[in-house]
Amino acid sequence: MKKIIEVKNLTKEYKQVKAVDNLSFTVNEGEILGLLGPNGSGKTTTINCILSLLEFQKGHIKIFGSEMTPDAYDLKRQIGVVFQEVAIFNELTVYDNLDYFCGLYISDKKTRESYIEDAINLVGLEKYKKFYPKQLSGGLLRRLNIACGIAHKPKLIFLDEPTVAVDPQSRNNILEGIEKLRDGGATIVYTTHYMEEVEILCDRIIILDKGRILAEGSSDELKELASIDEKITVEVKNITDKVLDIIRKFKNVDEVTLNMNTLTVTYKKGKNNLEELIECFKSNKIKYDKITTEKPTLNDVFLNLTGKGLRD
Amino acid sequence: MFGHNFKYSFKTLLKNKMLLFWTFAFPIILGLFFNMAFSDIEKNETLDIIDIAIIDNEYYQENEIYKSTFKTLSDEENEEQLFNTTVTTEEKAKSLLSEDKITGILKLTENGPLLTVNQSGINETILRYVVDEITSTIEVTNKIFEDKVAEELMNGNKQIDYEKLHKEIMELVMNNETNIKNVSNDNLSYTMIEYYTLIAMSCLYGGMIAMFITNYKLANMNSVGKRVSVSPIHKGSMLLGSLLASYIVQVVGLAILFLFTIFVIKVNYGTKLLPVILLSLVGSLAGLTLGVAVATLVKSNENTKTGILIALTMAGCFLSGMMGITMKYIIDKYVPILNMLNPASMITDGLYSLYYYDTYNRYIFNIVSLLLFSLVMIVISIRGLRREKYDSI
Repeated sequence: MKKIIEVKNLTKEYKQVKAVDNLSFTVNEGEILGLLGPNGSGKTTTINCILSLLEFQKGHIKIFGSEMTPDAYDLKRQIGVVFQEVAIFNELTVYDNLDYFCGLYISDKKTRESYIEDAINLVGLEKYKKFYPKQLSGGLLRRLNIACGIAHKPKLIFLDEPTVAVDPQSRNNILEGIEKLRDGGATIVYTTHYMEEVEILCDRIIILDKGRILAEGSSDELKELASIDEKITVEVKNITDKVLDIIRKFKNVDEVTLNMNTLTVTYKKGKNNLEELIECFKSNKIKYDKITTEKPTLNDVFLNLTGKGLRD
Repeated sequence: MFGHNFKYSFKTLLKNKMLLFWTFAFPIILGLFFNMAFSDIEKNETLDIIDIAIIDNEYYQENEIYKSTFKTLSDEENEEQLFNTTVTTEEKAKSLLSEDKITGILKLTENGPLLTVNQSGINETILRYVVDEITSTIEVTNKIFEDKVAEELMNGNKQIDYEKLHKEIMELVMNNETNIKNVSNDNLSYTMIEYYTLIAMSCLYGGMIAMFITNYKLANMNSVGKRVSVSPIHKGSMLLGSLLASYIVQVVGLAILFLFTIFVIKVNYGTKLLPVILLSLVGSLAGLTLGVAVATLVKSNENTKTGILIALTMAGCFLSGMMGITMKYIIDKYVPILNMLNPASMITDGLYSLYYYDTYNRYIFNIVSLLLFSLVMIVISIRGLRREKYDSI
């Protein structure tokens, strides 16, 4: 498979702090790679180094097989970037913003017009072409931000937390748009600390913390790394310490916690865990309500690897 | 791409109400205030004839250029009389100065002219300009003399009649009317100086426009700058497109200011309007490039940059005598290099020189200085833009 991005031994330091520490990874053609990690884990710094916005101390970065530098205009022409912050001109209309940014890549006016229409349709801004940014809601601004980054139909797209602080409708719209971009053949690097998004979108995930890769693989592969297999949460009313001790002694139980009336039991592995738990409640005459059972999430993987949650 | 960037820079600038206020409305409001404040005193106020003393010594008596120039400028029958000159002893001159009966004392020495004044003001500045001009005329005369002697020697003439040659050159110089003219009769009133101050300030305020639009090209300033920085466009080309758009907006602002001052508050620029406009155009370029340089070289947030640019502009204006001509004299006297690097000083010096001198030498010198200043600013700005960095983790 063709490698679109090759990062080797990338190290970026700010004075005493290593923001990126000897990072190496590749991104293959047509895939969506998720960079997942908490705030300050080095996701954005990594992208900025790849884009030659930041100088780095060590390492090599190749895009489309060529060394990436600030003057690599031929490479830049094929790249689209959607930054974490909304990057648009407040003085220009939606259409003019798109025309300006697309025009930095596409000089032919007719082609540009067609591309801009496609971008507007992709993010659902058809009704807002003549609106100024201050007339748009936060979600619509995010959509415009994405449209400005991808209007020139780049082969490689960097999306840096594009759904931060957006309403559910806009988030769904954005996620659908990203899937369409992938279906159109684009290679995408997607950074976020929302694990649900990477689970939905990404073919491959890299979990970062303190500038290092903690784990790499598909969502399922990563979940294999978690020490738990199932988590059951039950609302209980009259549970006693004695019953809790009984549950703790179940064969596959990893941890039992009681928070107010919420009992959480995590299991290392095994089947029929729920059945066993309900039997225990019945035999000890424990009243229970609302039972949920979950498979491990990427947050659990992260918790297992670092001892802290993704959003801590 | 240059055109694309120019078009949208222009659109962006025209949509920014705050910038439009400072560029278009503020100078007009200030002009209106000047008009209200100075219209009553305008009628009676022109520059006075300046009383001065010249020390009567051998250097003065032997210097035909000084003698002749001051004789012409002190002729009571001459409509363009600028000075009332007393040629006297050093003791008497000092006494007159201490009694404030004269503006200054000129003493010619072996090392050149020595000017003594009690205070700093417009009269003292004019006296200094006149002395500077005579000094440069003498330098020209000496150069002509040396060239003539060299030419004669090259032609094999070893018996040069130096006295005759000197006489010929002096006649040549003296036949040219004195370069210095009477400012009092050419409408350079204090009010006009204020309007020129306004024009010069407007020129430099253009730096705000350029800084605003340049910030949009810098990755360390805002997210738009990041997006622009990852695009496949050479930053130099982008900067020039933005600079042209800023310049046009600035020129429109200046045009409005000129139209307002000429047709609404009836400022009479006399025969000097075209040179004043030309100098304003070049001055605006210097102001814009200063704004670009501050934007690209100062690694800080937008507010800090704005503060630095305003501080530089105001300091430049202050040192160039915009808030009182006295300061210009002091700087010219004690730290002349400061005004040679100060665009505000170049603009005011160029404007005032139109009235102090018949020739355009000093005016052209200031125009060229402003162009050089602009060029240097553009070059260092483009170099600064070559690899813009920002810190964020």
